[in-house]
Amino acid sequence: MAATTPADARLASDLYRYSRYARGRAALAWMWDKPIARALVRAFITIFLVTTLNFVLIRLMPGNAVDNYIQQIMQEQLLSYEDAKQQASSLFQLDLNAPIHEQYFKFLGGLLRGDLGNSMLSQGTPVFSIIVAYLPWTLFTVGLGLLLSFTVGVGLGLVAAYRRDSWFDHLVSTGGSMLSSIPNYVIALLLVVVLGTQLRLLPIAEMRGATSPSVAPGFSIGFVADILFHAVLPVSVYFLATIGHWILSMKSATLATLEEDYVNAARARGLTDGRITTAYVGRNAVLPLVTQLAIQAGYVVGGAFFIESILVYPGLGLRLFKSIDQRDYTVMQGIVLLLTVAVVVANLAADLLYAKLDPRIGRAGGANG
Amino acid sequence: MPQPQPVPSVAPDSVLSVRDLSIIYRTRRGPVQAVRDVSFELRRGETLAIIGESGSGKTTMAVSLIRLSPRTAKITSGQILYRGEDATIDVTRLDGEDLREFRWSECAMVFQAALNSFNPVINIWEQFLDTARAHGMNKTTEVRARSGDLLRMVNLDPDRVLRAYPHELSGGMRQRVLIAMSLLLEPAIVILDEPTTALDILTQRSIIDLLRKLRAQLGFSMIFISHDLSLAAELADRVITMYAGTVVERAAVKDMFYRPRHPYSVGLLRAVPRVTGALGSLSSITGSPPDLIKLPEGCTYHPRCPYVIDACKEREPDLLAVDTPEHDARCIRWKHVAEIIGTGEAAVAEKLAVRT
Amino acid sequence: MSVAALARPTFRDRVTGFSNAVLDFLRLLSRRPLGLVGLVGVIFFFFLAFVAPIFIPYQDRVDVTAIYQPPSGAHPLGTDSSGRDVLNQIVDGGRDILIVGLVAGFFSTLIAVTFGSLAAVVGGKVDSLISGATDFWLTIPHIPIIVLLGSVLKFNSIFIIAALLALLAWAGLLRQVRAQVLSLKERDYVEAARSLDLGLFHIIFKEILPNMRSYIAIHFILAMTAAIYGVAGLTLLGLFPLSGRNWGLMLNFAYVRGALFFRDSLWYILSPILAIALFQLSLVWLASALEDIFNPRLRSTG
Repeated sequence: MAATTPADARLASDLYRYSRYARGRAALAWMWDKPIARALVRAFITIFLVTTLNFVLIRLMPGNAVDNYIQQIMQEQLLSYEDAKQQASSLFQLDLNAPIHEQYFKFLGGLLRGDLGNSMLSQGTPVFSIIVAYLPWTLFTVGLGLLLSFTVGVGLGLVAAYRRDSWFDHLVSTGGSMLSSIPNYVIALLLVVVLGTQLRLLPIAEMRGATSPSVAPGFSIGFVADILFHAVLPVSVYFLATIGHWILSMKSATLATLEEDYVNAARARGLTDGRITTAYVGRNAVLPLVTQLAIQAGYVVGGAFFIESILVYPGLGLRLFKSIDQRDYTVMQGIVLLLTVAVVVANLAADLLYAKLDPRIGRAGGANG
Repeated sequence: MPQPQPVPSVAPDSVLSVRDLSIIYRTRRGPVQAVRDVSFELRRGETLAIIGESGSGKTTMAVSLIRLSPRTAKITSGQILYRGEDATIDVTRLDGEDLREFRWSECAMVFQAALNSFNPVINIWEQFLDTARAHGMNKTTEVRARSGDLLRMVNLDPDRVLRAYPHELSGGMRQRVLIAMSLLLEPAIVILDEPTTALDILTQRSIIDLLRKLRAQLGFSMIFISHDLSLAAELADRVITMYAGTVVERAAVKDMFYRPRHPYSVGLLRAVPRVTGALGSLSSITGSPPDLIKLPEGCTYHPRCPYVIDACKEREPDLLAVDTPEHDARCIRWKHVAEIIGTGEAAVAEKLAVRT
Repeated sequence: MSVAALARPTFRDRVTGFSNAVLDFLRLLSRRPLGLVGLVGVIFFFFLAFVAPIFIPYQDRVDVTAIYQPPSGAHPLGTDSSGRDVLNQIVDGGRDILIVGLVAGFFSTLIAVTFGSLAAVVGGKVDSLISGATDFWLTIPHIPIIVLLGSVLKFNSIFIIAALLALLAWAGLLRQVRAQVLSLKERDYVEAARSLDLGLFHIIFKEILPNMRSYIAIHFILAMTAAIYGVAGLTLLGLFPLSGRNWGLMLNFAYVRGALFFRDSLWYILSPILAIALFQLSLVWLASALEDIFNPRLRSTG
């Protein structure tokens, strides 16, 4: 063992600390290399920024909800400013007497506990409990609609590319272009007015809501059928509104992929057309579309606001609309936050899916040897 | 593989016989004659080099040998006769499943520097398996064993390479993998299009050595397409030069290099720098390749030919046999060229430098 | 040997030059039938919204005997719930929507072009900040946030509404502008301008942007479609304090009054729906055709 003078001891401890530091840095670098870590951090930062935005909007903007509310109840209930502020405090989950940055941290803290404040209308009812019932319906219809439009759209786009300039291509491409340009609420209105009211093909009045009052909830076929019955309209609207984009994107991606050398090389190797179409063309062409899935999710969730309001489907969109009508700012705030988090999570999922599908991402790859 | 019309016979020692092959491209400006009446034989075990500038039609012709031309190309006449083990078939009349089976198992084509010849999203092993399965080789163990053998033959480690994705391998490695894959089904013919372009000099050397070794070991016939004459000198038994879509000279490799008889071949050889050559012996061919839609009258090379006479502008010559054996050139003045070049075994550039 | 003096283009030259460019453009467009249809559609709707009202002023002629009439000679698009002519309302109702679309599109494009080129040209921390903000905005759903913003801000002018709607399209545009400027940045004339130390704004506005004119025009059109989507939708639900008359308000009226479920009101509802949908279609088709024309890489057969 080396003699341990104080200098040696200091040197030894420095080295130890340095090596821990170095190892720590190496560990961080290794983590950062993985796309999962990067995607998680990005998602986290986005959600953080959105909550801050929420806070800023509600609290700091001129003509903001809190001050309005205080003024309002001061008049209505003849309260003093202090008492009004007290009430607002509990409602908005803010301590209005504390300095701004403290309010901000308390706000964040509350959020982490799932506390979104209380409804302004029905005081004492937590926002979370009000809106949590609406979330699954939105997720269900939006998710189903996107899933269907993606699969069908990708299939149609692929075929359209293979049969370029045929009547099929013209039909599908023009149709897709039209559908993607028409606003989604217009599609909803057209479905209701034309199919429902005019042609009487759909019992519109009975299709409102997520379930029929006559059907008992539970895991029965009847209940599932009822849910699907009520979901047909919103899902159809999401389907029609987004399919055009998938058709056109997949067609152009497929056309580009068909020009690639490896497709020709695969033919030279005598591979069957079927194998080439699925594993060589399809898998490569669909990659850029996966990244777009997240963007489309954001768009559709935003559109759900219009569609659920028109079709009277009890999702977060409809509840948001109602809360605007009622000027229930805390509920509004809570819903916007929840919707945003849902979309950010969808983005994250799409990023991870892409990393899994494309081996060029997510490995510390590159030519070697 | 029954064919409706009888297929003409091919000499027993030939494996491929291309006869009067003509290919056009449909373009908006009109049909482009990319390949005109090309004929040649490939003997069993032989290596043939097809040399020409870009636009000479060499790649169009090569790609048509496995019928992989783009949709705008059309074979207007001629035959591509392949003498297989069981029967002789005309590749121009193959379709569907027969064509698919023919590709790779009888005749494999390796494209220009395999940089993008592999599917980027599946690994190398799966691509070997795809190839094998497409031709009825379904036993994974068999395929694994054979792939392993071939990869070792090209100096690669199978365990490492098979698991890898294409982007994880260097250009040279990918070229080797593609060469190994081309031999998976023991084809009689391997066609290589510009096998060493886009590779650095050291890698080029190793690929050339590799091809020589594989050919010796496995005995397949090889065609390679290039603009690089030195490649021909290294590997070929016979050389064909192409110009403006047609064959202008066919000869054994030594005859082509030491005793060319067509002015274009002479021009190409003069343009190759020699390490020991006298300065000033280098020259390039004046002018540029012709517009394939509006070819010059008579011999297509005449605008650039230093030996042109009036008769050259009247009609395009046929391939004429010249003084050396199994050697023909599409030039009415080949005797004049023969006088200038002579018959000695020295490089053309040197011979001409001495003269000048 | 003397060098001939360069003649400055006369007014006549400019006019001929311009009309030649227009004819060239129309010729290119004629090969893309959808684009031609789009151009015709856009011109038609502009005419309908801005010029037609001069000749067909709004008539608030209530006629309770003719509620929800189907189309006829006197009322080509039928009547509404108070017997008013629907065509009249359509002619009258385009202005607000189109103005909001134009202004919001302008704001969107302005933000995208300014900050996009700034980020590309300056690079470094500025670029990171701008790109980060853009990516952030792109990952969140816009409509709910705009709705929230709308409830907090006070609307007293079209400009505030337009500014709010501009939030819909700027981020996608900015990313594309930035990418385009980055590629143009490497070109020689920019290097030349740089070496002459001509200053940031000069480089952006005099060297790079003039080469992106068509690109900017295309994105302006697309930004307009986003803004119109927003204003029509939010007016339909009654969330914009746009008083007056416009297509969105017609739909709002129908929605609120339950006219959606009423058989006879078909034409009253279909007319603004078709107006909005067809206008959006025309804009998108025109933009696609322009993209096809001006982007040689994507051009399929010239």
